[in-house]
Parts: sequence; structure tokens; C-alpha cells
Amino acid sequence: MSPDILDETSEVWFGPQHVSAHGWATKLTIVGDYVVECDPNAGYFHRSAEKCLEFRTFRQGSLILERICMVEAFISEYPYIAAVEKIAGLEVPEKAKIMRTIMMEASRIHSIQFWLGQLSGELGLFTMMLWPWVDREYFLDAFEELTGSRHTVSYNTPGGVRYDFTPEFLDKLDKAIVRLEDRIPIFEDMLQGSPTFRLRTKGVGQYSAKNGIKWGLSGPNIKACGVPMDLRKDDPDPNLAYGMIDWEVPITENKEHPGECDIYDRVVQRFKEIAVSVDIIRKLLPLVPEDGPIVDPKARAKANRLPAGEAYGRVEGTRGVTAVWLKTTEKAQTPYRAKIRGPCFNSYYSLKHIMPGLRFADFVVTFGSLDPYVGWWDR
Amino acid sequence: MHKVQQFDFFQWLAGIPDWILGIILWFWGLIKWVLLWIWGVFEWIWGLIVIPENFMFLIRSLLYPGLVFILFTLIFAVWFTRKLWARIHDRRGPTHLGKYGGLQLFADAIKLLAKETIIPVNARRWMYRILPSVLLIAVLLPFMFIPWDPYWNIVGAPGFPDLSVSLVLIFAFLTAVPVFSLLIGWTSGSKYALIGGFRAANNQFASEIPMVISSVGPAMLAGSLSLFAITQAQSAIWYVFLLPVNFVTFLIAAIASVGTFPFDAPVADSEIIFGWRTELSGVYFTMTYFAEFAEQILYSALMVALFFGGFHGLPFLPGFANFIIKFLVVFFMFIVVTSSFYRLRQDQIVRLCWKYLLPLSILNVILVMLGLAYFSDWLVPLVTGGA
Repeated sequence: MSPDILDETSEVWFGPQHVSAHGWATKLTIVGDYVVECDPNAGYFHRSAEKCLEFRTFRQGSLILERICMVEAFISEYPYIAAVEKIAGLEVPEKAKIMRTIMMEASRIHSIQFWLGQLSGELGLFTMMLWPWVDREYFLDAFEELTGSRHTVSYNTPGGVRYDFTPEFLDKLDKAIVRLEDRIPIFEDMLQGSPTFRLRTKGVGQYSAKNGIKWGLSGPNIKACGVPMDLRKDDPDPNLAYGMIDWEVPITENKEHPGECDIYDRVVQRFKEIAVSVDIIRKLLPLVPEDGPIVDPKARAKANRLPAGEAYGRVEGTRGVTAVWLKTTEKAQTPYRAKIRGPCFNSYYSLKHIMPGLRFADFVVTFGSLDPYVGWWDR
Repeated sequence: MHKVQQFDFFQWLAGIPDWILGIILWFWGLIKWVLLWIWGVFEWIWGLIVIPENFMFLIRSLLYPGLVFILFTLIFAVWFTRKLWARIHDRRGPTHLGKYGGLQLFADAIKLLAKETIIPVNARRWMYRILPSVLLIAVLLPFMFIPWDPYWNIVGAPGFPDLSVSLVLIFAFLTAVPVFSLLIGWTSGSKYALIGGFRAANNQFASEIPMVISSVGPAMLAGSLSLFAITQAQSAIWYVFLLPVNFVTFLIAAIASVGTFPFDAPVADSEIIFGWRTELSGVYFTMTYFAEFAEQILYSALMVALFFGGFHGLPFLPGFANFIIKFLVVFFMFIVVTSSFYRLRQDQIVRLCWKYLLPLSILNVILVMLGLAYFSDWLVPLVTGGA
């Protein structure tokens, strides 16, 4: 693997106009076909989300958050709301807690489906790119039925949720999940069963759990190393319903290199995440009460002006720990400062350590396997 | 006393018209000579054309199995590929223009030809302009030797059906293709294009040898290097039944050589944008795009000729109908394979071709040799058409 037969290096900018670099640029120093240095550069997609939050009221702020990562909109808008709820001291009704959790898990499944397609496209199989995207439409239909919008759902609000479940929505969600469960074996066959997929992913982009934790990776990227690190279990949010049911944190063990994970393990881990999400949705759906408020009746008044304080709202997102730190001043309508912690910033910059020694063709696959979403590192 | 002749001005004046006439006549003679020469050339060409064999050759090379036919096959192949890929992807593919989107490619071609051609600053302009056309020509030339029909093939039939070494010539032309890819990548002055060019060369480097050796089996069975003779020898049995492994190795090596989907490292769009074609635009891009599809058609036709008996088949159908049916089946196989595997890395392509395809194809050649040596009394009549 060592590239010492050649000594002439050349620099290749991967992005920002590259087709698979949608708003990011990485400088790769290559020797022959090997990458010797990888220099990730954030900032090409910067839309000042944190500054924007300072000009939005507490009820509007989550709309900015969900635009940062639209494929997991139900999850990405939540940390801000959790922080607002903590400062305002809002009580979330039981029904809203369960509904939030169901929608977050549905959003997680949808996001992983999107990612599966993206990774397969980067690996050069457009069949497998479009198949998960077809199934993803079923979830989008359900979201549209519930909220009126496919991506920018604006579902969670301080103190509860905005819309109640309807029978039509429940039908569509059920249809989406049944379809998903039908298709998952096919996808597993297309991915893990494909010899060309194993050739491209086994032993590529490998890192150990120790390094992963050092670089700040979280979510499936660290669970694939066999570390059961999951905020849903470790720090159960009182306003979410993960504590109400029994479920297992999915982890993947690499048999050849224990405590390490390659691209293949990360894909396997995502399939396990889908299975667990389906399990959680299945277990929570019967628990949704028939009647009851879906939002704290005093929420509107309480969330208009918050007392002075600071709070850290966090949630286990599809890509890892997603969090917002919020500081407010007395009776202000907008936050004094909001700081977003996106999971993908860490995974993007960990490429600096993962990439050297790999081939140039492996770069985009390794990068894609970490489930990057540009919005999370250019806030 | 010698009388000095007086200069007569009027006489001189009267001579001017004659002089001008002389000049005009001289020019007229020149022009007539040139015109007659051109006319002579025309007459000579016409004299060649009106000879029935030559006239039919012209018709064949321009119309039916020649240029126009190949162009229409190309257009059909692009539509067929896009439609089938779409159906495999769970999409619809082109639908709007014409019945089942049949006119989509004409619209695409018009759009591409009408686009502005942007030549990068770093590009070598002359090479950049000329290479895509040379590439297309290099891909179109081997169609000369495809035996579409016992009579209707380009080189000529039935008296002089083929060159005796047409198989070798086809591979000679096809080997030049990645050289042009590499040169296009090199001369466009972009790092991605250069990487793509070298990957194209790498692909050919990997796949050429297994492909050529895979075609040795049919040539040995038929006892000829002429594609027409190989096809003609398959009247009793198609060689795909005798050499199935050879057919598979040829198919995989052909896909690798074209550089389409599982082996599309030269134009991997997620890695190196569009490989050696990154900087091409407008008409130059159209040419390379057509060249890729022409190469796919060529390999499918080659496979039909080498392994599926070419124009042999259902006896009540004309030869070309048999050929086209089998061509569509093989092309369908091509498309299905290209939409079911993940892209291989360049080193993996070389490993696959040299570690698996090369020994398999050599093994097949050895098997054919042993078969011809030890079972010649029943094998030779079978593989040469039951003669």
C-alpha cells in the first residue's frame, strides 16, 4: 500500500464544482493513485444559520434548523425545541411525546433510505440508487398527508406538535413501513450480497472505535465499531417516548478487526438502524392515546418570551448527536446566542485521518459512507 | 537601301483586339482543359460506379449495412439502453417525444449539436478539435467486417465475402480507441480528464488480452481468422454451446473494454466528474457519446458473429433478421449486466481480468486444441457446418 515508488505529488481539488461535491471542497494530495493527504475545507455552503436564529422568535427558530438538514427534518428541528422547552419549563403532553418519537423514527428511516441511494450512486450502481428512493416516496407521502409538506415539515413546536394523526396518515405510514419491510431483504441482497459491493467496501475507510471517539464521531458511525453509544438510551429525553418501550441499541461487530469498522460495517449498521426504528414505531403506535391535547395549551404564551437562561438540547440524529446550545436574556423574544452542533462536521474532518493511504477512487465512497450532509458543517 | 519600317500606330491599335482575343482563347483553353480533366475524373468515377459490383458496394457501404444503417442502429441503441435502464431502475425513461420517447435521441442530438463549444484555455486546440472525430471513425471502421447477412455485408459477397484476417483487423482498430481517449484526456488540460484518460488506457490494458484470447477459440474451431468464415462455419452448431465460458469471458472483457457501468472507472461521474470527457462540450461530446454506444453495438455484433452463429438461425427468416434478433438479445444482456454491479476500482478491474478471465480464456483455448487433436473425426465436421 505504500506509495514510495513515486515521489511526485499533485493536488486535486475535489469540489466545490464537482458533481458529487454538492457544496464542499476537499483538497486531495495524490501520489499516483494514492491519497497521501486530505484537507477538508468547510465554508462553501455557509448560510449563517446560527446568526439567522438570533433574528427569529423561539417558535420560528426550529424552521431554520429543519432547513439545515431536510432529509431528517423531524429530527433536525428537535434540538432547538428541546432547548426552548428546557428554558421555558414547558410540559409536553403524553400524546405529543409519543407522536414526536414516531415521526422522528420515520424521519430516520427516510433519511437512511436517501443515504443508501446516495452511497450506491457514488459506488456507480444507479439501479440501487433509485430503488430506495422509490420507497422513500411512500414516507414522503405520509409526511405530506400529516404536515402538508414533503420536506420542510415544521411538525414539532415548543410544548408539543402541530398536527394530530389522522386515519389517512396512519394508513400511509403503515403502507410505507410494509413496503419497506418487503424491500429490505432485496436491498440487503443488492448491497451485502453483491460481490462487487464487498470488493469496494471491505477493508476500505477503516478506523477504530478509539479513534472514532477521539475525532468526535457519533451515531451509526461509532456504533458500527461496536460501541453502544446512543443518546436515545444513554440520555433519554423526558419529552420523548424512548423510555416507554423496550428496544436494543444496534451495534455491528467486525469479525476480522474487532473494534474497527469499514464501509461495509457502516452499511450493515444502517440496516440495523432501520430495523430498530421500525421496531420502535411498531411498538409505539398502539400507545398513542385516542384523545388528549397534542400541545401544551400555555405553550404559545410561555414560548413567546423566555426567561434568562441557557440550555443544551440534544437528540440522537440519523448521523449522530445533533444538539443546540441556547442562551437567552430576560424577556427577550429572540435568543441571545444559538450554537448548533452538527454531527457531520466531525465526520467530515475525520477524513483527514481516514483518507491517507487509500486510493483516489475510494475517496468519494469513504466520504459517502460517513453519511455527510453539508448543512451540518456549514451552519 | 534598307528602309526602316515606320512604326504604324494605327496598325498597332488594330492589333490589340487580336491580342486580347488570343489571351482569352488561351485562358479558355486552360479552363477547358481543367474542366475536361474534372469531367474525366467524374466520368472515371461514374464508370467505376456503374459497374454492378461497385454500385452495390457503394449502396452497401453507405446505406444498408453501412453508414446510414449504423447511425440508425446507434440511435435505436441509445433509446433502447435508456428505456431498459429506466425500467430496471423503476423509472419510465424517455416518454414525451414520439411514441415511447422514440424521438428523444433526435432531440438530444439537436440540442447537443446546437450547444456552444467551450474549449478550455489549457487545451491543445488542434488535438482537442480533431481527436473526437478520429475516435468516432476508429470505432465505426470495424463495422466494415461485421457479417450482417450472407449477401448484404459491406466488404462484398458472395465472391469475396471478407478479408482473411478481419478478426485481427477489428481488434487492431479497437485497440486504438483508448489511445484516443487518453489523448483527449491529456489534451483537454484538466486533471480529472487526465486521470480519466489513464483509467481508460488501464481498462484496455486489462481487458484486451482476455478478449483477444477469448476470440481465439471460435477462430480455431472454424479454422479461419475471417469473421465471415467463422459465422459461416456455425451452420450446424453455435459456438456458444461448445464454448460457454469463452462467451462469458468475452462478454465481461468487452464490457470492460467499452468502459461502461461496472467498469466505468474511466468516466466515473461520482469520482472524476466525467473522466476523459469532462472538458468536451457540444458536438465533440456528442461524438464521444456516439462512439461509446457504437462500441457497445460493435461488441454485441461481434459476439453474435463469433458465438451465436451470426446470420444462421430460423431458416425461414432472412439472414439479417436472424442476426438482428440475436443482436438485440445480446445487447439486452449487455444492458442488464451494466445495470446490476457496482463500479470496480481500476486495480480490481486489472485483477479480475488477469486473475480470472485470462486463465479461463487460455484454458478454453487449450481445451479447443485438445478437442481438435483428439476428437477431430466428429468435432471438425460439426464445427465447420456438417460438411
